[in-house]
Amino acid sequence: MSQPNPSAPTLGPGFWEKFALLDRRIIFAFIFLGLALPLFYTIRQPIPVSPEGRAYYQSIENLPAGSKVLLSFDYDPPSSPELQPMAEATFKQLFTKNCKLVVIGLWPQGPQQAEQALATALRDPRFKDKKLEYGVNYANLGYMAGNEIVIQKMNADIISTFPSDYKGNATASLPIMRGVRNYKNFDFIINFSSGFVGTREWVQFCVDRSGAKMIAGNTAVQAPENYPYFRSGQLKGLLAGMKGAAEYETVAGQPGKGISFMGSQSVAHLVVILFVILGNIAYFVSRRKW
Amino acid sequence: MPGMVSLTLAGFLTLGIMSFVYKDNPIYKFCESIFIGVSAGYYFVLIFYQSLLPQLTDKIGLTGALTDSALAYYRQSGSLASVQWFNLIAAVLGMMMLMRLLPKIGWISRWPLAFVIGSIAGLKLIGELQTNIMTQIQKSILPLWAPQYVDGSLSLAASIGQSLTNIVLVGGILTGVIYFFFSKEHKGVFGGAARVGIWFLMVTFGAAFGLTVMSRMSLLIARIDFLLRDWLHLLG
Amino acid sequence: MRKPLILFPLVFLFLFVFASAQTPPTPVDSLQAVDTPDDAGGQVDLTWKPSPDEGRAVSPVIGYQILAAPAADSTFVPIGTASAGATSVTAKDRLENGRPYYFKIRAYAMDSSYAESEVAGPVVPKGSWWNTKPAYLRIVIWMVFVVGFILYNIRKAGKKELYIRPIAGIDAIDEGIGRATEMGRPILFICGLGDAAQAATLAAFSVLGRVAQKTAQYQTRLIVPCYEPIVFTICQDIVKGAYLNAGRPEAYNEKDVFFVVYDQFPYVAAVNGIMLREKPATNFYLGQFYAESLMLAETGFEAGSIQIAGTDQLIQMSFFIVACDFTLIGEELFAASAYLSKEPEQVGSIKGQDWGKVIFAGLSILGVVSVLLDENLRVHFFGFFRKLMLNE
Repeated sequence: MSQPNPSAPTLGPGFWEKFALLDRRIIFAFIFLGLALPLFYTIRQPIPVSPEGRAYYQSIENLPAGSKVLLSFDYDPPSSPELQPMAEATFKQLFTKNCKLVVIGLWPQGPQQAEQALATALRDPRFKDKKLEYGVNYANLGYMAGNEIVIQKMNADIISTFPSDYKGNATASLPIMRGVRNYKNFDFIINFSSGFVGTREWVQFCVDRSGAKMIAGNTAVQAPENYPYFRSGQLKGLLAGMKGAAEYETVAGQPGKGISFMGSQSVAHLVVILFVILGNIAYFVSRRKW
Repeated sequence: MPGMVSLTLAGFLTLGIMSFVYKDNPIYKFCESIFIGVSAGYYFVLIFYQSLLPQLTDKIGLTGALTDSALAYYRQSGSLASVQWFNLIAAVLGMMMLMRLLPKIGWISRWPLAFVIGSIAGLKLIGELQTNIMTQIQKSILPLWAPQYVDGSLSLAASIGQSLTNIVLVGGILTGVIYFFFSKEHKGVFGGAARVGIWFLMVTFGAAFGLTVMSRMSLLIARIDFLLRDWLHLLG
Repeated sequence: MRKPLILFPLVFLFLFVFASAQTPPTPVDSLQAVDTPDDAGGQVDLTWKPSPDEGRAVSPVIGYQILAAPAADSTFVPIGTASAGATSVTAKDRLENGRPYYFKIRAYAMDSSYAESEVAGPVVPKGSWWNTKPAYLRIVIWMVFVVGFILYNIRKAGKKELYIRPIAGIDAIDEGIGRATEMGRPILFICGLGDAAQAATLAAFSVLGRVAQKTAQYQTRLIVPCYEPIVFTICQDIVKGAYLNAGRPEAYNEKDVFFVVYDQFPYVAAVNGIMLREKPATNFYLGQFYAESLMLAETGFEAGSIQIAGTDQLIQMSFFIVACDFTLIGEELFAASAYLSKEPEQVGSIKGQDWGKVIFAGLSILGVVSVLLDENLRVHFFGFFRKLMLNE
């Protein structure tokens, strides 16, 4: 390797060689700053709504008031930054439409996530007058082990699949469960998922077998796997990651954490794109030299 | 006060795990051990109370007060209904799984395993065929020339756009299938098609990578928000 | 939606009290009840000819109530409703499999007078063994073909060696083992986060057997941290068996094949720690992976290990491609497993699936051609095929 010419400008080949070997901790530091600094400022940016996000909102909006909706919470706290804002906004839209909500979880911590999202939604002053009551307007049937077999079994009988709810009451005694036998007794199904068991299994074992209508909120990692189901109509709407949450909050007119975190998300993405471009230049310049 | 202690502990643990990006260190090891230990304990309790008790011992009648548990039903009617037989068979299969702990009869545990693998394979086969093969083939049979009409007259730009989308989709599917064809070496025209297939895959991987970066950023934002807002009260 | 529900009983009450002359409607005619086909049981399909008084000017029929009883002469209880205009309903409440039921329909007029139909039944609801709907028939046809191909090829593979094209990552497996032996450092093998029933995990088992046999021969340390309890026990069996086959049962160290924790991110934290402390020369990531793929592969890269990955989770492949030296994409993992094991079952399965793919591609091409001809030239092509594939 030749010595760099001392009279050459600083942005010479020497710079790119060094850049190609840049300590990753420096990149981490930039990304950390890119994420943290925007939290101190209010960054207003347009949030374009994708067809999937709009369809998600619209399909709930099109439900007749008072519809019965089944929600499955198939994620745990590590994925809550992406999925919790979606869940909260979804609960609010459903309560606005006076829907009756039955929650289950196929991940052990799913029902607990649902409880938190429900609590946040119920604190909304708009629902004070509605006097929403547990067991009548909403219920949480808790977690059930068995993954896709649970989805399959619910197609035959939901009450025997979940004999008791999250609080230990007999499921059959809940007024909201009166007349509920299988998916046919629900007007709509919503799934929040971050992996297996999740949206894919719901499409396979619930939508395709019972003809139920379903929308889903996914982590961004998982979403590409489920886009084909939206395209084919097996899913009526799909939210992908925090961006999906922000889109939904935008279209529903309920600003929440999804929108407020998008500033950090955008700045961090710019930092990543910048490093990808610089990294590629560094790679090609160094390769040519070597 | 207890709230502040738990917040401080959470903040410390977050920073401890994050310190891994600098390098492996004793604080990270300490936090890692806590994470694994707490998680193992938490899952044990969760599965014990949410799965083992309600699904096994309650249904047999060893715990709980179910009136249709196997034991209660037997006491009442002197016989068992089919559901209770199923529960008992499941319990026996579960016990057989534990035989692994006894080296001499450990082979017994393979039977319930075979049952699980066989039944799930059967269940999944139907699901995969229906959802990922039948429906997806149906939805990907698209016209390669898709005329689009705007206000009753043919729009050439829209038609070309839609047709290109369809061609890319159908081409991507076919060349992708060719790449995963193992009975013929990738040479000549066949090899060329397979090469196009792998390009399609690489583009998909790129998109997936981008979305995952977004996902990871979201997790980090939430943690930073916790550190700055909930713990240090630096944000309003 | 809510209002009529509240108003309904009020209207009834009002009419009941104040109506001066009630004229009962004509009951529904030709009530028929049959067990619902292609279901899990507990349902009965009812059909009838509507009451001619649905359209009468004075006090028309406004709805029907479905009644059921276990015997024709016992008390009938309401189990459902149907609105005026309906001629069929699937009764599914309170019906148990294997018990006979009798049904009748009560037609209600606006003035709350009603008339009951003749009794239909008995019908015994039962679950069906076979679902005869066309959607399922198609699946059966596919299954017969694909399973038939696989079985045929397994038979063939038992008699002679079948060709599977070379796959780039396969040679790397032996190279990776050789490298670890030369460097005197361990090999780390991760079977993913899937359960023992998933195809990718099964393929990983096959490769693990091969790797363990080699490490036994070369006396290289093999570390297998497991995520799933059942996968853990199987891994133990495989590694132990491989060491036995290689004639070195004493070299097998039970503590090197261990269960970590059944929780994704703590598992990652633990395996990352192992990578940095044990500094394995080669890391294998084969099986089902989720969000942890990048974290594992990134740490392994940082630790300077040679990395070989394979999964059928296409999304996770992207991270392995970026951070690993060799990758087995999707089905290549299964092909690699067949290639290495040479077992007729595995080789035959790959061959059978290849035949299935030919049919898949052929049908797609036929479909696209038929749509092209149909929509542009109005030539109806492969009518039967379109019916079969497109459900038209």
